[in-house]
Amino acid sequence: MTITGENIMDAKLQNANIAVLDAESHLEARNIHVWFKDRHVLSDVSLHFPTNSVTALIGPSGCGKSTFLRTLNRMHELIPGAGLAGSIYLDNEDIYAAGVDPVNIRLRVGMVFQKPNPFPTMTIKGNVLAGLRLSNRRTRDEDDLVESCLNRASIWNEVKDRLDAPAGSLSGGQQQRLCIARSLALSPEVLLMDEPCSALDPGSTRRIEETIRELSADMTVVIVTHNMQQAQRVSDQTAFFLAEEGQPGHVVEFGATDNLFSAPNDPRTEDYVNGRFG
Amino acid sequence: MMENTVQLLERPAGATPWKTRSQNFRIWIAAASILPAALSYLVYLNAGLSGAAILLIVFLPLQLLGAAIAAAFTRGRRGVADSQLSVLVLFATSFVAIMLGSIVFSIISWGLKAVSPHFIYQNNVYVTPTTSLEYGGAGHALIGSLLVVGLATLIAVPLGLAVAVYLTETKGRFKGPVRFLAQSMSGLPSIVAGLFVYALFIATGTANLSGWLGSLALSLLMLPTVVRMSEEVLKLVPGDLRSAALALGAPQRRTFFQVVMPTAKAGLITAVLLGIARVVGETAPLLLTTRLMSETSINPFYGDLATLPTFIFSNLTAGFDTGRARAWAAAFLLLAVVGLIFGATRALTTQKVK
Repeated sequence: MTITGENIMDAKLQNANIAVLDAESHLEARNIHVWFKDRHVLSDVSLHFPTNSVTALIGPSGCGKSTFLRTLNRMHELIPGAGLAGSIYLDNEDIYAAGVDPVNIRLRVGMVFQKPNPFPTMTIKGNVLAGLRLSNRRTRDEDDLVESCLNRASIWNEVKDRLDAPAGSLSGGQQQRLCIARSLALSPEVLLMDEPCSALDPGSTRRIEETIRELSADMTVVIVTHNMQQAQRVSDQTAFFLAEEGQPGHVVEFGATDNLFSAPNDPRTEDYVNGRFG
Repeated sequence: MMENTVQLLERPAGATPWKTRSQNFRIWIAAASILPAALSYLVYLNAGLSGAAILLIVFLPLQLLGAAIAAAFTRGRRGVADSQLSVLVLFATSFVAIMLGSIVFSIISWGLKAVSPHFIYQNNVYVTPTTSLEYGGAGHALIGSLLVVGLATLIAVPLGLAVAVYLTETKGRFKGPVRFLAQSMSGLPSIVAGLFVYALFIATGTANLSGWLGSLALSLLMLPTVVRMSEEVLKLVPGDLRSAALALGAPQRRTFFQVVMPTAKAGLITAVLLGIARVVGETAPLLLTTRLMSETSINPFYGDLATLPTFIFSNLTAGFDTGRARAWAAAFLLLAVVGLIFGATRALTTQKVK
């Protein structure tokens, strides 16, 4: 089947579980399928991410949320044996079109990983500037950029007196916020976050959630989380992924966060958000 | 009312209760260490067997038995098993440590007899193996060695690093064969490397015996060491860091040079040093590719060039006491130079964050 704009919309309308937000889509995934070697792990995922929205991806472990997230900035293709079908549109341009340089996509779509991964050979300041240095770009005032990024990641006050200390000397929660600051330094249009709080204490988690809310004023955020409360606190819309016995992962339900949690259309969604499985 | 402060105590002396052994235990250990040694010595005095035989067939079994008895009385069954392994490990360790120590000791003690300032900077012109030690030196060989090994390093390190990068950082199709080749090369006898260069350049008349041919042969021996060590070190760099850099929009080249390489720096330096250590004392390839000479030369690309290993070889095979003394002194010089290079590199490259 050829995939065109129209029959995508038809498919959406046919599926009553998929609600459509009334906003212009900044980032859109159309009929994404993913394989690892010959194993089909993600089937027919179509999601759209309006400008400056926060989208939560929830679902049990192994349902393909993180895999899907990595298709959004072309990090997926770095995994040996990875396969993909479908398209991802960023500002109406297919990021998988022939001739598109993944480097340019990753500069526009930033990513924060599950495990904090600051560069151990660099200082705190060096980590914030790493994105610029790694893409060989300069800024007029490095100190301003460092301060504003660290501020937006709500870590400035904790590190302002030791910007030249090695990044490894920070605690786990601080490292994660440093990694967020590092992504922000490139002013991405979209920020992908893969369970950014899974290794953090409640205090750090709260600060990162506040950060996410503030960031959504400037960018589109997609966050994978296992924490239902977190999804409800930070996101505008939520997608529930599920991989049933022997089947590839797929989206069971996608809609405004309030609706999905208070009045889910699918009984499986209801069971999951109420903690009855997964 | 409850006291609302937490007790603050100064650390008492020791405060490491986990290290304390009972008095009894110490007596058992002392007995189990002294008795087997004393008994073995008695047997040695009376049985007329060689020292090595006594060590293996009398001392080791006695020591194992003693340790077993001591452990059985103080630490129970698991202690017995532990004591047996401890004795074997200690025995093997001391064996190797004594051999290594005796090599270093003989080089230093013999070498110091003939080393003097003039030995380090003079060359060997007009000096024969029978000339008094007051004349001549290995300065020309020292310079030659530094040149030949330095040039070999210049060839092998960039190439070896490039191969290691190919093996760890790319999706190259020939990774399997390349890794296999590097592994097989590490078993190459050094004289074969020399013969290879000889056959390729000298036998065909393309070039005459000269320093750079020696460097070429040495770089063949260095290459597999550098490749395999660097590969292991690069594999240790967490994939997370590569992902982080790539997700920041870094091209693969910058990811490698700005993130992966600085992270693996210490290990990569070790790989290079091990490569140098592998070849710095190699004699056979140099005998085939460079010519012995006694003058100082600083040109590895033209003419004859002396090196420390060939200097040692020619002085040893000459069969005179003064020659042997010079050989030991040159061996000492080689050891000292290697120690200096390693120490300086380590000091200059301690990790700093930027």
